[in-house]
Amino acid sequence: MFGTLVHKEVRAILLSPKFVATFAVCSLLILLSVYIGIREYQAAVRQYQTALQLNEQTIRQTPDLMRLQTKAFREPDPMQIFVSGVIYDVGRWVPISTNAVPQLSGSTYAEDTIFAVFRVIDFAFIIQVVLSLFAILFTFDAVSGEREDGTLRLVFANAVPRATYLSAKCAGAWLGLAVPLVIPILLSLLMVMVAGVPLDVSHWMRLAALGGLSFLLFTFFIMLGVLFSTLTRRPSISFLLSPSAWVVLVMIIPRAGTTAAAQIAPVPSAAEVAGIRDGYAKERQDQFIKDLTKSMSEVGSCGSTLSMKTHDSLRSEADRDIAQNDARVNEGVRNKRAVQERLAFSLARVSPAAAYHLAAMTIAGSDPDLKDRYEEAATVNREEFRKFVEKKGSEGGPQGIRIMASSETGLKIDMPREMGAIDQAELPRFNPPKFGLENALAEVIIDIAVMLLGSILAFGGAFAFFLRYDVR
Amino acid sequence: MSEKQTPDSVIRLEAVGLTKRYEDGVLALDHISFSVAAGQIYAMLGGNGAGKTTTINLFLNLIEPTEGEARINGIVTHKEPLKAKKNVAFVSENVMLYGNFTALQNLEFFSRIGGKTAYTRDDFRDILLRVGLPATVHHKRLKEYSKGMRQKCGIAIAIAKSAPAILLDEPTAGLDPKAGYDFLRLLETLRNEGKAILMSTHDIFRAKEVADVVAIMDSGRIIMQQPATALVGQDLENLYMHHMAGRTAALRQEQASC
Repeated sequence: MFGTLVHKEVRAILLSPKFVATFAVCSLLILLSVYIGIREYQAAVRQYQTALQLNEQTIRQTPDLMRLQTKAFREPDPMQIFVSGVIYDVGRWVPISTNAVPQLSGSTYAEDTIFAVFRVIDFAFIIQVVLSLFAILFTFDAVSGEREDGTLRLVFANAVPRATYLSAKCAGAWLGLAVPLVIPILLSLLMVMVAGVPLDVSHWMRLAALGGLSFLLFTFFIMLGVLFSTLTRRPSISFLLSPSAWVVLVMIIPRAGTTAAAQIAPVPSAAEVAGIRDGYAKERQDQFIKDLTKSMSEVGSCGSTLSMKTHDSLRSEADRDIAQNDARVNEGVRNKRAVQERLAFSLARVSPAAAYHLAAMTIAGSDPDLKDRYEEAATVNREEFRKFVEKKGSEGGPQGIRIMASSETGLKIDMPREMGAIDQAELPRFNPPKFGLENALAEVIIDIAVMLLGSILAFGGAFAFFLRYDVR
Repeated sequence: MSEKQTPDSVIRLEAVGLTKRYEDGVLALDHISFSVAAGQIYAMLGGNGAGKTTTINLFLNLIEPTEGEARINGIVTHKEPLKAKKNVAFVSENVMLYGNFTALQNLEFFSRIGGKTAYTRDDFRDILLRVGLPATVHHKRLKEYSKGMRQKCGIAIAIAKSAPAILLDEPTAGLDPKAGYDFLRLLETLRNEGKAILMSTHDIFRAKEVADVVAIMDSGRIIMQQPATALVGQDLENLYMHHMAGRTAALRQEQASC
């Protein structure tokens, strides 16, 4: 019985004009988005390699350690082809120096603002927005449409249990919609392989997980559509209800969650944070100058030269204080942002569509935490870099600026020595952050649970309403 | 399952004090009782709102009775609906089937959910030929069928189910004379095969022509029930109008006395 009903549903879907439209739109969009994603990825790889070479060249041309500044670059990941997430919003490189705070800079959207207006269309977007809409449009009249056509009465003139009928409706719609999804996905994977995009085992596993999430989301929207079809006797009413619910779930709730979280748990803006940091740095620099002047006046009165050791000591003390303050401020902001993010995501997760979006980004490694992961890795690299510079400095004798104060000659500033060309092989290498699939999966369990729960509730609701549904 | 024996046949369809009052208080069916034996056609005549379709819906358990019972082969439909429905086939007015499916596909689907899984494609073709649908239209989509052709397809579905009882809801409504004639011949064949047929209709002439028992319903009650043999020589139209007019007059009197 169940098989017969599912077979009929699939056949009805395959023969309907809705299927042809869905298949055509999904295929076109998925293949086009993956093709564009591949091109973007290849361009990003080229840009990345060029940037590395330029950085090496810059290092080669830097005459001394005092002026040395390097950059850590964010390596393009093939998963960005499918889920771009925040990769166009966060920067592509982090300046590494002894005193600058490591922050990702140079985002694509900051440079090409036109793309920030309508964002990119990627696989995750197609599933979250396009396929979810098709899923709900496929099923909004699953029951009410058959009632209006009169076939429901004929079906239930037979010994058909209602639970079996409804389950078959859902299963049939699911299978019918899986076809327009699976075929273009397989073709797009083929396209990725032909294009020579390097995919390792981890990428394939991530892609499998992404596929699973996508099926979970459209299962939810199928169940939701079926629920609406059991709520009303007229498909025209279901037709009004379903897209309204879709707009709320896909468009409103995710944005409303973020907006509400921003109001409830505000985080200082980047400019405010920079202002706080710069204010302290300026204050501390002034203090340093005062301390230096004081020391100079003390030694000047004794007629001796201000030792470099004293200067370096005061300097490093000031630098350390500034760095500690930066770290404190950053930590405070990061904590506030974490609270805001948790709140925003918790509110947004009311919608399974938002849960899917978050989960897809996490699985692909293009989630909002990407920025923090890179900046943390850059902080580690910066520390190694600082130690490297200190070590090299101590190996090469006194460095920096020598300031001599004399009543006869006045103030004399000179640089005791040039460090010469820097051996790049000795520079600490930047290790990009690792974000394993197991970590990603652990983070998306809540999102999977939201989608599963949503599907179960929608099906349960549909079942409860259908038990009392007037099939005449 | 208890089968009530009559002198000459087995009761397949039976209404016992069948009553239906809807949630809005409307009394659609008021303690009606009748039975249809194997090899018998029972025609329910009546205007709109008389309760004919409600009776059929109660037999199909699409709604539950307020009082009384509808029985199919002795099985009370609202108590054992799935078991009862295995014993009945249904042909609705304007037979609404899946328009994107062909006649064969519709027949195959409804036969399978009717519990008949052993049929082959050839069997389905034979059934369609039997109801007068030529092989040239078997692969046509139902949405291209005329009403008469759809009606034949509906009968084919009922035949394929091989149920001992058949319910027909306004089966001849909107059929042209030729299609109506063909349809009645099919019904006679099914009756001769021993099917118990309960038919609701507005069409008093066709009812008289084919039915074994004719009942006239009004306001949820059976106001006249006679074997067709008793109607021989009588003008059924006049009889119908007489009963309906009488009922209407009585109702008017009741209302006036209130």
